[in-house]
Amino acid sequence: MITVPGEVGGHRVRVGCDVADIADVQNSLAAFGDRYLRKVFTASEINDCRGLNRVPRLAARFAAKEAVIKVFAEPDMPFPWREIEVTRSGPLPLLRLSGTLAERAQHQGWLSSSLSLSHADCHAMAVVVVVCSAADSGPDAGAGAR
Amino acid sequence: MQDQIRDVLATHGRMAVDPHEVDAEADLYDLGLTSHASVDVMLALEDAFDIEFPDEVLKKSTFASVHNIAQVVGSLVKSTV
Repeated sequence: MITVPGEVGGHRVRVGCDVADIADVQNSLAAFGDRYLRKVFTASEINDCRGLNRVPRLAARFAAKEAVIKVFAEPDMPFPWREIEVTRSGPLPLLRLSGTLAERAQHQGWLSSSLSLSHADCHAMAVVVVVCSAADSGPDAGAGAR
Repeated sequence: MQDQIRDVLATHGRMAVDPHEVDAEADLYDLGLTSHASVDVMLALEDAFDIEFPDEVLKKSTFASVHNIAQVVGSLVKSTV
């Protein structure tokens, strides 16, 4: 039996993923409207999600935020959802952190990230891959499953 | 306060069990509370108690049990009096 190393070429790789139920997002919008949007999403994200696929797009962004939280692997750390923003560069979604989470990512040695989003009729999902410096100060364990 | 919190969990928590029946220390995530449902719970608690959750309490552990929620809500209610 071997323990597979968690770093390659002097860098540590972290992965986070999450699935969001599109109906849950629809229900939250119906129950709380703009308060829900403003609590969870940035103005830019709300703008990016206009149109026919508004709810699946919002659900995918929520999944991205939760995936990022898993990458941090610090359950007792505050996670203001709006400090995690999904932006776009052409067809590619990109991750942007701000405030305390940007500082924490720097502290953990985050060097680069890659984000993928998808959705079907019922669910949206996100996968985040982060490359960190090997000397990052975060937990050794991988992202949680909750 | 715990009764009101359990009412909110019953309406918005989408849990697999009746929140009125769970131990105050029971892990709500283990009982089916999802991260997304915790957003609804938070917004409904803001309405029920006329409070606003600041960024510093937006953490997984805040919603992990009825006891934890009551502690946070209690401190927020006090701070708005």
